[in-house]
Amino acid sequence: MTPFLSGFMITLLFVGGVYFVAVLERCSMTGNVSWSGPARSFLLLFAQEEIKTRKHDKVFFETAPILFIGVILLTISILPFSRGSVVIDLGTGALFINAALVYIMVALLMAGWAVNGVYAMVGGWRALAQLIAYSMPVVMALTATVMRAESMFLTDIVESQQSLWNILYQPVGFILFYISALAIAFLPPFDLPVAEGELAGGVWADLTGARKLLFRLGRLALVLTLSVAVVVLYLGGWMGPWLPGFVWTFLKTLLVAASFFAVGHFIPRIRHDHLLEYNWKYGVPLALYNIFQVGVVLLL
Amino acid sequence: MISVQLILLIIFGLAAIWFGWRVFMTSSMVRSALSLLASMVAIGILFLVMEAEFLGVLQIMMMGTEMSIMAIFMMMYMMDPGGLGQMDMYHQKNISIAAGVIVTVFIVGAALAADWGTIATQFPGPHEQNRLLGMEILKRSMMIFETAGVTILTGMIASITVALSIKNSVEK
Repeated sequence: MTPFLSGFMITLLFVGGVYFVAVLERCSMTGNVSWSGPARSFLLLFAQEEIKTRKHDKVFFETAPILFIGVILLTISILPFSRGSVVIDLGTGALFINAALVYIMVALLMAGWAVNGVYAMVGGWRALAQLIAYSMPVVMALTATVMRAESMFLTDIVESQQSLWNILYQPVGFILFYISALAIAFLPPFDLPVAEGELAGGVWADLTGARKLLFRLGRLALVLTLSVAVVVLYLGGWMGPWLPGFVWTFLKTLLVAASFFAVGHFIPRIRHDHLLEYNWKYGVPLALYNIFQVGVVLLL
Repeated sequence: MISVQLILLIIFGLAAIWFGWRVFMTSSMVRSALSLLASMVAIGILFLVMEAEFLGVLQIMMMGTEMSIMAIFMMMYMMDPGGLGQMDMYHQKNISIAAGVIVTVFIVGAALAADWGTIATQFPGPHEQNRLLGMEILKRSMMIFETAGVTILTGMIASITVALSIKNSVEK
């Protein structure tokens, strides 16, 4: 397949994947599978009147949605979908994932502060509390995958899983990264920044129209991006028999995305202070153990 | 010689200075902290422009977390975090101006007087840079990095140990 055609197919599959994630999200909340639901919500937000709150912070109000979607697009651009199908193959790819995703929190913080409302602001600070909880385990889990590949190129990390996928090689790291990915995308059970039932939408409670649309679209793309990251780092990326590489990547990605929503559907919300406590008291020591275990296995 | 690299260096250098100036020109704590973050990100981009990829990405990653944590601490401890009372971000104006001028003159003087040597035309790629950085940390600079690393680890363990557990149940 020519690079142009595979690039086109990947873009198409990604857009389709975002729509599929939107259907999954609805299904996890309402229990019904509605194929036209996301399209209707899209049109609703697209045509909705833009309401600006009184004394809002103009700069943050305009910057936050663009920053949110911008960092997600940056993350997508460094992820390899198949051998050779990566927009920018960064020499520090594994670190860059984490660097870009930190700015999800910054965007939420800015959006929370900008609208000059209590619910949004509380949501924004909760996003920060969650980041302090998951940032150490996620970066340590990434370190262990880099140790095995002896390279920060994401393509090298996939190649290093030729004999055994990282999910089996370092299961502790996988669990930590998986849980952290849920928290990064503020999906249930870690959806406190936008808690619907309690903060009436939190960070995006006061956003309407195009700004909310950017946030909603960004979150769906974020879920898919994190699923691709899980696949690349732990599930052997594009590896698989018979089918082309990018088809395997997308099959695994959709499976991971579906599992994200399934987990969120059955587990009760975890409060941000509990998340801080669990992650620092158990998550960080486990992440250190994971690095130690991978180091020992590598030296044997 | 004017290249794209030089133009980008100038643009992001000026952006870093402008955002640094904005830190003191706003009365809101959060705006001030996020302006500082923008300034630091501009410096991170300067590293990227100079093809020091690891340092650039590391700078951008670390500062995102650090400045946001600073924002929440400023929110907690200041009496007017939203800047509604038009508070100033600077104190002792005359001494600050004098200190600023002296330091600027010193830095510009040092930059002009220093022998920068020849400009490198050949440099290792990002992967090789990462490897060389690792070698540097584990060979010549091991003592410094290990001291700093162990100190930070001790600090982390100590702060977890002293952290109070939050009880949910209402005890009477």
